[in-house]
Amino acid sequence: MRDRETRQLVLMLAPYLFGLAVLIALPGVVTFVLSLYEYDLIRSPRFLGLGNFRELVDDEIFRTSLRNSLMFMAFAVPMRLAGALALALLLHRRFRGVGAYRTSAYLPSVVPDVAYALLWLWIFNPLYGPLNLVLTELGADRPRWLTDPQHAQWAIIVMSLFLIGEGFLVALATRQSLPRELYEIAELESAKPWYVFARVTLPLMAPTLLLLLFRDTIFSFQATFVPALIVTEGGPPPYATTYLPLFVYQNAFEYLRYGYAAAATLAMFAVTAAIVYVQYRIVRRWRHAFVV
Amino acid sequence: MAGLRLESVVKAYGEITALRELDLDVHDGELLTLVGPSGSGKSTCLRVAAGLEDVTAGRVHIGARDVTRLPPAQRNVSMVFQSYALFPHLSSGENIGFGLRARGVPRAEVARLVAQAAAQAGCADLLERKPHELSGGERQRVALARALARHPDVYLLDEPLSNLDAQLRVETRAELKRLHRSVGTTMVYVTHDQLEALTLGSRVAVLHEGALQQVGAPDEIYAQPANRFVARFVGSPAMNVLPAALEDGRVRAGPFALEPRAGIDPPAQHLELGLRPEHIQLVGEDGAPARVEVVESAGNETLVHVRAGDETIVARTPPELRLDVGDTVRLSAAPRHVYLFDAETGLTLQGLER
Repeated sequence: MRDRETRQLVLMLAPYLFGLAVLIALPGVVTFVLSLYEYDLIRSPRFLGLGNFRELVDDEIFRTSLRNSLMFMAFAVPMRLAGALALALLLHRRFRGVGAYRTSAYLPSVVPDVAYALLWLWIFNPLYGPLNLVLTELGADRPRWLTDPQHAQWAIIVMSLFLIGEGFLVALATRQSLPRELYEIAELESAKPWYVFARVTLPLMAPTLLLLLFRDTIFSFQATFVPALIVTEGGPPPYATTYLPLFVYQNAFEYLRYGYAAAATLAMFAVTAAIVYVQYRIVRRWRHAFVV
Repeated sequence: MAGLRLESVVKAYGEITALRELDLDVHDGELLTLVGPSGSGKSTCLRVAAGLEDVTAGRVHIGARDVTRLPPAQRNVSMVFQSYALFPHLSSGENIGFGLRARGVPRAEVARLVAQAAAQAGCADLLERKPHELSGGERQRVALARALARHPDVYLLDEPLSNLDAQLRVETRAELKRLHRSVGTTMVYVTHDQLEALTLGSRVAVLHEGALQQVGAPDEIYAQPANRFVARFVGSPAMNVLPAALEDGRVRAGPFALEPRAGIDPPAQHLELGLRPEHIQLVGEDGAPARVEVVESAGNETLVHVRAGDETIVARTPPELRLDVGDTVRLSAAPRHVYLFDAETGLTLQGLER
């Protein structure tokens, strides 16, 4: 009986495990091996040991792109999470047209990345872009979205703030699943909205929000790639929007330095893992306060 | 301290009317049980009183205040739900003190009131624990303590014992009755269990299809049901109701032919006769013959289902009377135990006195 169950499990897992091996594990191993070599597709690979990593440490552009990625993460992740939560709480009630609002909250997430980036290229246009036209109407300073280094970094963050459809859906589903009677009790006990949010909603949604935090942290390193490639092209100088994925891409496919790019990829992986681990440790310490 | 009064309350959800012109007066300090089958509108009635649902028409008063348009927070009522609705991430103590903390009562005062309420509800030793560490009965006590802590004008309890096992339910019922006596605050208790309604309430209100059928003391509800619905809903097993007709001054129904009680002048048609199982005799000289079909022994009593002609009749008998399926018995009943209903309106035809 147990043997049969095990065999069935293995059989059902097989397609997934095969895909995992071929598409994830194998490239992972290849990347690891590659990071120890110099390889340009033409000459045969030359073993460097840790040479690529040593070079990374001294590489000004790598350090800049790492810093850019971390800054993006530090701003985009909390803002995206807060945005998804706010939308979910705003749209969890039933009212006329709520379906349309929910759909439009998710809609940007289904636009293909490249089309989305091209759309923002238009929105950010300093002359005829709608964003600056509105800001002009309001009498505000017009940011130079694509030419000022700091403004460009904000532009990439702003772009990411509208791609929170999945986080919104997960948060919405979690909020919907909270028992209505808890809120009725809170209402009967004259709890103010802010008190209910802080004392009931937030703690009860905390497990889901933490999961979203981890997921978004991992995702945020990769999310910069298409916008940086298409909207800002890694600029404006000096490398204001060159993030880690773009750095890897340029080294691999423009400079044909596959070994070096592989080393940078591993560094990116290590940084992500370290951050998620630290988050996890912090959460574990506070767990008794949140998790049911 | 205050009573609760619903005045011609109508609650409609689109096409569906949950409450029809409901008038209910809960006296200051009494424990009124609101009983009815599921879908009768009893929970809606409670939620309207709490302010969790708006009324479509009519008024709600608590004490001298008209609270019809007031939000739940301003009605000063506490509620206990069937699910208990405890906050899963808060300890029992924090759950009990939730409303006090939300109102900004100082910590020391909250601690004092929580301890007091917990002692009253019998959960003083559970304050540190979280709901998932409590049994059903313990959760029920914590939910009750939370309602007590705030000293509201009215307590609204929505089937708070339904999730407990039978024995615990009986014990808790008695405790709840004691608790109400010591607190002395108006309580409305919703249940679908007629026995619970009769044993717990100082008065009982019977609800059916959103309309109030009868309000009265438990023995009054039992002995003088206002209509066929109340007569059959209260008492277990349910009252036998047989189609009847008037012949030569006697009411004939199935195997029975009985004199109507003094003061009743039954119509010749559209008549129904009701007899409670405990009022039917199975042994007698001149009773009508009937065949025993089912015998249910419950230890202290035996329920016997007999067939007479087309009618199946249930009788409650002492356990000493040993009967077997297929036995022939003779049915009889005393005229003073007979209820007569108008078959069209369902109303009880009232006699002089019972």
